[in-house]
Amino acid sequence: MSRPLGSNPLSALALLVVLASPSESAAQVWVGSAGPKPGSVEITAGGAWNAGQDLASRAATLTPNPGTGSSGFQLFTSDASLEPTLGANAAVAVYVTRRIAVEGAVRLARPQLRVRLGNDFEGAPPTTATTTLNQYVFTGSLLYHLGEGRVAPFVAAGAGHVRDLHGGNELVETGTEYHGKLGLKMWAGSRRRIGLRAEAGVSMIDGGFSFEERTRAVPIAMLGLSFRF
Amino acid sequence: MRRGVIAVATLAFVLLGGDPAAAYLKLGIRVGAGTVTLKWQKFPIRYFVSNASGGGVSATELRDVVNRTFATWDAVPRAEISAEFAGFTAARPNDNDGLTVIGFLNRPQQSRTLGATSFLVDTVTGEIVEAEIFLNSAFDWSVAPSGQPNRFDVESIMLHEVGHLLGLGHSALGETELRSGGRRVLAAEAVMFPIAFSAGSIEGRTLKPDDMAGLADTYPTTAFRRELGSISGRVRKDGRGVLGAHVVAFNLRNGHMVGGFSLNEDGSFVIGGLEPGPHALRVEPLDDGDVESFFDLTLNIDTNFRVKFHDRIIVVPRGGGTSGIEIRVEPK
Repeated sequence: MSRPLGSNPLSALALLVVLASPSESAAQVWVGSAGPKPGSVEITAGGAWNAGQDLASRAATLTPNPGTGSSGFQLFTSDASLEPTLGANAAVAVYVTRRIAVEGAVRLARPQLRVRLGNDFEGAPPTTATTTLNQYVFTGSLLYHLGEGRVAPFVAAGAGHVRDLHGGNELVETGTEYHGKLGLKMWAGSRRRIGLRAEAGVSMIDGGFSFEERTRAVPIAMLGLSFRF
Repeated sequence: MRRGVIAVATLAFVLLGGDPAAAYLKLGIRVGAGTVTLKWQKFPIRYFVSNASGGGVSATELRDVVNRTFATWDAVPRAEISAEFAGFTAARPNDNDGLTVIGFLNRPQQSRTLGATSFLVDTVTGEIVEAEIFLNSAFDWSVAPSGQPNRFDVESIMLHEVGHLLGLGHSALGETELRSGGRRVLAAEAVMFPIAFSAGSIEGRTLKPDDMAGLADTYPTTAFRRELGSISGRVRKDGRGVLGAHVVAFNLRNGHMVGGFSLNEDGSFVIGGLEPGPHALRVEPLDDGDVESFFDLTLNIDTNFRVKFHDRIIVVPRGGGTSGIEIRVEPK
């Protein structure tokens, strides 16, 4: 006696499993591609903002003649600052786990050095003298994402190499950079491959162009477009 | 060109007199259309100390001070000189006898001259063949480690004179004020400034960056060429070059000042021996002192312009130069 296929509960279950499995499997793959997985690569390009820095205020002093009773002699004064600047930023990150990525980046900026010269003993008119730096910062960072959804906050920390070129590249000065940042990635589309990335933090620079032998803290902020594949 | 040996002008270090400003200046002589730097070409420089005491200082004390001052110049980084004491001599420091003699002379008629240096030079090569330094024993002198009130410090004045002996001219890095009877120095940042500090002062025992740059530029080592740099350009007024303008390079990192002069009719200047990094430039005229302390009076030194800062920061490269700087000044 023949029996209809569907009358066997086990067969029906098997068919259900068979029929259902492909679509269930596809759903899992789709969900996985929406977020990063180990080996995913993410590239980012955008703009970077460097806060300005007050550099040294220094007086041009001469040694006073003791016979005049003077304890100091100032020929003129100088006040220097690096102006805030917009630059460019590019980064490539590789995910080690779904939440942790290692990233290499380069940041370019052309800050202007401004030096106000004044208080001249012989009455030279106050003048603001300028020059422009070409600043390259090559960094390596570790990123930890606090979520995997469309909005993924992250923290990052790392170190890098600073290369400052003056004016017409007459002089190269190098240094070390350390940074810590907080940021947010906002992914668009169902596959979450393109997103907006915003971050801000502090860059600590030791060496490079400076007037003093101390580490400087420079606030930084970056905004860019990211593509993940 | 005929080779010969001539005595060149004596450079005096004065008590009152005058010029402010800022910069080192190498001594030179005209040879044809160009200028040759005066410098020693054979080392060590062998010097004798006159056996006559003066101004309350013995010959032995003078020798010890002279040895120290040569050692101070010899210690200038990236410069290569050497000198040795050849002995005491009965010769006086005013003879062209082939000996380099340092000693006291009593010159009461030179009431403002503390000391002076004169040379015998080869008129073709600029080689210094012989030099003489005298300190004027009409003044009271001191060799006390901390100086003595109302006595001039032998070491301070001798350091200045030995700078001349090595080929340095006067620096203009200083400021003065007019007083009855002359010009008094208010402050200076070069041992080679032509007017001395007051009696009792020992500040002149320490070389300044301007002095050291001048010596290293005259007797450079390979490290000088590799590690230091220069700034060159022109000072112009109303479209024409300014001769004798004093240009000071101010190192924005450490505050060191080194100067140079525009030495041609086209206003061109070169400041060498600068540490790499950003510098501000200040230009000033030699307008309140004796121009002959710095230049031959036959030159048409222009002092009719206002002090000015250049509006660009100049970055000195390591082992090279930044050229083409043009500074425009305004007439007074």
